[in-house]
Amino acid sequence: MKTQSKLYVYLTISAILLLIIAVWSLNTGVYDFAGKSAFEVLGNVIKGDANLSLSDKYVVWDVRAARIIMAILIGSMLAVSGTSLQGLFKNPLATGDLIGLTSGATLLAAITIVLGGHFRQYLPEAVQFSLVGIAAFAGSLLSMLLVYKISTSGGKTNVVMMLLSGVAITAIGFSITGFLIYISKDEQLRDLTFWNLGSLAAATWTKNIILGIVLIISYIILLPKGKALNAMMLGEKDAQHLGINVEALKKQIIIITALMIGSCVAFSGTIGFVGLIVPYILRLLFKSDYAFILPLSAICGSILLLTADTFSRSIVEPSELPVGILTALMGGPIFIAILIKFKKSLS
Amino acid sequence: MIKAHQISYRHKEFHILDSVDVHLGYGEFLAIVGPNGAGKSSLLSILANEVKSKQQVLFKDKNISDWKVNELSKHKAKFSQHNSNDIPLEVKDVVMMGRYPYFDAQPAQEDYEAMNMMMYETDIFHLKEREYNTLSGGEKQRVHLSRVMAQLQNEIAHKVLFLDEPLNNLDVKHQYKALEIIKKFTGKTNSAIVVLHDLNLAAQYADKILLMKSGRVTACGTPAEVFTAENISEAYNFPCTICDHPITGRPMIIFG
Repeated sequence: MKTQSKLYVYLTISAILLLIIAVWSLNTGVYDFAGKSAFEVLGNVIKGDANLSLSDKYVVWDVRAARIIMAILIGSMLAVSGTSLQGLFKNPLATGDLIGLTSGATLLAAITIVLGGHFRQYLPEAVQFSLVGIAAFAGSLLSMLLVYKISTSGGKTNVVMMLLSGVAITAIGFSITGFLIYISKDEQLRDLTFWNLGSLAAATWTKNIILGIVLIISYIILLPKGKALNAMMLGEKDAQHLGINVEALKKQIIIITALMIGSCVAFSGTIGFVGLIVPYILRLLFKSDYAFILPLSAICGSILLLTADTFSRSIVEPSELPVGILTALMGGPIFIAILIKFKKSLS
Repeated sequence: MIKAHQISYRHKEFHILDSVDVHLGYGEFLAIVGPNGAGKSSLLSILANEVKSKQQVLFKDKNISDWKVNELSKHKAKFSQHNSNDIPLEVKDVVMMGRYPYFDAQPAQEDYEAMNMMMYETDIFHLKEREYNTLSGGEKQRVHLSRVMAQLQNEIAHKVLFLDEPLNNLDVKHQYKALEIIKKFTGKTNSAIVVLHDLNLAAQYADKILLMKSGRVTACGTPAEVFTAENISEAYNFPCTICDHPITGRPMIIFG
């Protein structure tokens, strides 16, 4: 079978799987629809049924459906950002959370939440509305540039330096966020805690539309880069000889991943390890062929986060666990597995 | 087809190249030889547009840095001295990278043909499903030779191949095979610039020799002109005797 048609088969299979999980997720929850399934109610919402009770509609459309779509969008973007960063740094440990992009984004978002009141009124209205999002993007972009400058020289990445600069940025972020928690008011404190734990509970359709736009722009630029990321494995100079504009590629990846991680952090806080788990599993199945794992991680990231989120809101019903606990539970062992493999390759 | 005039290159205060002239004609096999640290690889990098120098390099009568990167990749290819050790892909995927300039997402029939043909010629066809990382050093070399040759399988006339010590780690048979592949390539009015360490192989296969020492060209011309006992002993600081190769009649260098 041609490689391209094989890719489409896998993409179709995973898309169907995602759809099944979405249906299951929609049906999961404590709310009682008076005998009807949530799926029927959703059908009525889409048809615009006038007899629908307002609370039924609210639960299905504004709570569950919005949250499912948000899990799909954020899971997908976190996984794709992880895969692209790993291509850029040529290492399976490069992900937004491990190299400090998430902390950078959280830090600037937290500063804007707590101190934003002092300068918010001087800014134009459009900026005021999306201030936290812009701050998160700036935070992840700055951390990205810092990590890249520290860990890469002459086209070669020092993995230890990369991870340690992530640790340093996370430490700075942690201490400043801690200080901000100390001086913040009650209402701001709730926002900050939400950011630190990571949750999809605050999903709304407005947020989903913004995330959707970011996702489409990012994927138009990033998803066709599979071949280029493969060539980067030869080394930057040899990639250039294959006709790839390496400098432009690096800039695109740096800006787009910062944009994706920034928007994810702005709307859902820090949900860790998605960018590590998904490419790791795909690599086990398809080697490191980015032409395969880049588009597949876009769907598998959604599958992972949607599954984790549905579990997180159903295992301790009627309350819910922060979804970051579940992703970290999966991600931690995978982190260790990659380290062990890395140790073997060193000896 | 390549003209470079008075190329100089420095790294900090070290002069790595000092006013080097290179002229490469159609169908020419140019071997760059010289002792360690003579600046051979640096010269090759500048000629192949990997490193920028202040002086311009003319590639097909046009400044090489004015070429579009993706267009240039169909006219020239470079085999690097230090190849990546960690490419978690199968051998055929690595060779297929040589065809990246020619397709977007799905390789065409001619891309598969070029890939298979070059894998046959470099004797790695039986390894095509193997994971690259499990190969020996010499096998990895052949994979990259195969990739670079596959990159230049096209209809364009007068292509240029740059090779930096392509024979490293290769056994005797594959050294000769690699040189035969390069010779066949230059036979079709294409050109090749090759950094070599084995002077006898250079004498037998190259049309022109560039002998370097300490960033300067000490001799340039046909093997018979360059490989004289004085030139070689002076460049390498080591005594040698020259005699005629019994079959080809080209110079044969015996050290000691």
